[in-house]
Amino acid sequence: MKLQYSGQERIAAGVEPVWAFVNDPDKVGHCLPDVIEVTVQDPTHFDAVVAVGLGPVRGRFKFKFQLQPDAAARRMNMKISGGGLGSALDLTAGADIVAVDPSTTLLNWSGEAVMRGPVAAIGGRVLDAQAQKLITQTFANVRTKVAG
Amino acid sequence: MTVEAKPKHALGVAMKRKEDPRFLQGKGNYVEDVVLPGMLHMAIVRSTYPHAEIASIDITEALKVPGVKAVITGKDLEAAGLGWLPTFHGFDKQMVLAIGKVLFQYQEVAAVFAESRAAAVDGAEAVQVDYNPLPVVADPFAAKRDEVILRPDRESKTNHIYHWEVGDKDGTARALAGSATRIKERIWFQRCHPAPLEPCGCVAHFDSMGRLQFHVTSQAPHVYRTALAIVTGIPEDKIHVIAPDIGGGFGNKVPVYAGYVCAVVGALKLGRPVKWIETRTENLTSTGFARDYHMDVELGATNDGKLTALSVSTAADHGAFDAAADPSKYPAGMFGVVTGSYDFPVAHAEVDAYFTNKAPGGIAYRCSFRVTEASYAIERAMDILADELGMDPVDLRRKNFVKKEQFPYSSALGFTYDSGDYDGNLLKALDMIGYQALLKEQAEKRARGELMGIGISTFTEVVGAGPSKHFDILGIKMFDSAEIRIHPTGAGIVRAGTKSQGQGHETTWAQIVAEELGLDPQTIMVEEGDTDTAPYGLGTYASRSTPVAGAAIVTAARRVRDKARKIAAHLLEVGEGDVEWKDYKFQVKGVPAKTVTMKEVAFAAYTNPGPNEPGLEATNYYDPPNMTFPFGSYIAVVEVDRDTGEVKVRRFLAVDDCGTVINPLVVEGQIHGGLTEGFAIAFMQEIQYDAEGNNLNTNFTDYLLPTSLETPKWETANTVTPSPHHPIGAKGVGESPNVGSPAAFVNAVIDALSPLGIRHIDMPITRDKVWRAIHDAQAKKG
Repeated sequence: MKLQYSGQERIAAGVEPVWAFVNDPDKVGHCLPDVIEVTVQDPTHFDAVVAVGLGPVRGRFKFKFQLQPDAAARRMNMKISGGGLGSALDLTAGADIVAVDPSTTLLNWSGEAVMRGPVAAIGGRVLDAQAQKLITQTFANVRTKVAG
Repeated sequence: MTVEAKPKHALGVAMKRKEDPRFLQGKGNYVEDVVLPGMLHMAIVRSTYPHAEIASIDITEALKVPGVKAVITGKDLEAAGLGWLPTFHGFDKQMVLAIGKVLFQYQEVAAVFAESRAAAVDGAEAVQVDYNPLPVVADPFAAKRDEVILRPDRESKTNHIYHWEVGDKDGTARALAGSATRIKERIWFQRCHPAPLEPCGCVAHFDSMGRLQFHVTSQAPHVYRTALAIVTGIPEDKIHVIAPDIGGGFGNKVPVYAGYVCAVVGALKLGRPVKWIETRTENLTSTGFARDYHMDVELGATNDGKLTALSVSTAADHGAFDAAADPSKYPAGMFGVVTGSYDFPVAHAEVDAYFTNKAPGGIAYRCSFRVTEASYAIERAMDILADELGMDPVDLRRKNFVKKEQFPYSSALGFTYDSGDYDGNLLKALDMIGYQALLKEQAEKRARGELMGIGISTFTEVVGAGPSKHFDILGIKMFDSAEIRIHPTGAGIVRAGTKSQGQGHETTWAQIVAEELGLDPQTIMVEEGDTDTAPYGLGTYASRSTPVAGAAIVTAARRVRDKARKIAAHLLEVGEGDVEWKDYKFQVKGVPAKTVTMKEVAFAAYTNPGPNEPGLEATNYYDPPNMTFPFGSYIAVVEVDRDTGEVKVRRFLAVDDCGTVINPLVVEGQIHGGLTEGFAIAFMQEIQYDAEGNNLNTNFTDYLLPTSLETPKWETANTVTPSPHHPIGAKGVGESPNVGSPAAFVNAVIDALSPLGIRHIDMPITRDKVWRAIHDAQAKKG
């Protein structure tokens, strides 16, 4: 099952602190909702354990994150793969960091998720809204944590 | 119906089922109830991907989970020569645990053995498998293009598994070309699943003598023993298969599954008993599915409705391995019965099967090997033709039925139908349902814009595989067997090579013996499922128990009677030729007062046999001369809500003809169960995969079972046309309702929708599909 998402966050901070934030794997990792554990491997790789509850699928999912920054374009691409409970999730996401004014930055993000296993079987009834919530919450957390 | 608890004599009596008290009191003994000292539990790691290379399997963390004793992978099994398992009809093999790559989601990748089920599941969760995803082949039409070859392990580098055909292709094409009226429709019988309430499971244990004691929920215990011997190399005398009570099978428990082999390996490796019980999800996603036939059906007829030809071309989705469990010479099963109840001068049927990234199977779900698909195709097509001709579907059927006097009838596709009275059966159904009154009511409703439909299905099945010259599984001929022992007090035991999964053999087998020997059926014990005691048989599926094992029981009972006649002659002090079997006892010919009962003979067999060999027992291995051909007329009446697409089944009448009825209560129960399954298939059930190969129906919230709230009230009746070649004229009935009913339901819905110009909707007929069809039709009309 393929799902596509996009959205925008308006952050009350300049481009540089936002760019620095999204380049910090520990900080990005802790923006995941219901994150249990973040283990940074190197400046562009980290692992995260997240509590997941989707319909009958409840438990811990482990994800590997790879940050692929494009400093010139001020774009952060991210590859996420992992899963748990017999389910797998491959996600590619990207965010363009756009300056509005010296103290305001837009985070224009989009992502595509491919889900397999019991998570996929839950289907459109639950999954779409839940996944949308998860991904939206992650970028919303980026906004509040950078600004805060 | 009058139900008799303790009939004096047996055949045709609605005797209460002997097995029911223990089931109703929760005293059944299932595989899950088997608990052995020191028993370990097994859980299976399954693939999340439908098609992927296995980059690595890391079991380190799993072995650290408290209670986990061992983990095995495909490489371990391959090293032990147990990497692959032959499929039952012998043309393919399947991986026990994935080797190199996975071919369907939920495929078995590793097995974890632990002290408790919870620890085994935790251990399975801790196994880390890295996959490199590969492109997914999601349907047979994509498979046909061979852009991605799924099975490089096979010599033939194509996804095409086989081409099978029967009939006169050129003659059929000519007849169709010359037909005044032709219809053609693609009819898909969707992928569905038998979903027995008890999932698959086993307990494997090597006893102190080194003998494998294998408790398993199997419809064919003897075939399992032979298959395990072939796969594992364990001598067959060192394997004891015990199939205890079974909570439904419906074909799902015919194949040997990977989990069984893993449990045996675990028990051998660890020296402790191993239990494996599937979860519901495992059952729905990895064990034998049913159907998934895409059938292009073409009918030709004269303008007054006389059939001229039938052509069916099918693309079959077999999933990742060809594990259809059909008899060796019949890769498409009995699909040749697709001419149904109709007298076609010429016909042709072909099936091309393909590998896809889906679970393997294609098993005979309450069906004698692809008969349900065939029956659905012809019964749907007959309605479409009737619509094209502007004829009443009843008139079209009656005009083309094989006539009573044509039996034994040679069909255009090579079957010899044993007996039938299709017109008589249908006329009874029409009379009971009040067909003319329904037509009048329908006309009135249509005038008011209401959608009411009447659906007819006049199906013919072919069951009872089968004659040894044609039928085998793994090379073993499809006979069946019975052994009868009568004890000194006139009680007895019958053992058979079949295995009841709810069919009521403990009752019906006892009734057959009681009828043949004049004994009380309550004192005839029936034992099945233990390969140490039961004679070798091919098991219970494809409605073969009564046609084959039932005949073996009759024949063995008659052998017992022949032996008893000798002892009776001794007791009556006359020559054997002067003794006749009359009114359930032996009597001296012409001297009705001089009699001896079977009970008296039984006692004498052990106390006073005279010049005869002591004892009273016999065995028979029955090789049927032909298949049997049960038939019936099913009529559904439905109302469709134009605004919501909701279908209400208002009435459903099933008039079956399964030849001689052994126990009408058991037959009625079989019909009720099968109709409920047919209803579920028609309106609720489909195993769907998305384009990425995800199975979307992995539990009972997504794969629906009808409850008593949804299930219509069933009306049943029967006619009796005995099979001329079966020793008591019985034909088998367990599958008729599943075979015949889907078409009746769908025909009724389409009949309701026909004023809108709707001609076909594929099952399951869900309300959203109906709603969409109605709205599309209305939009087209403007």
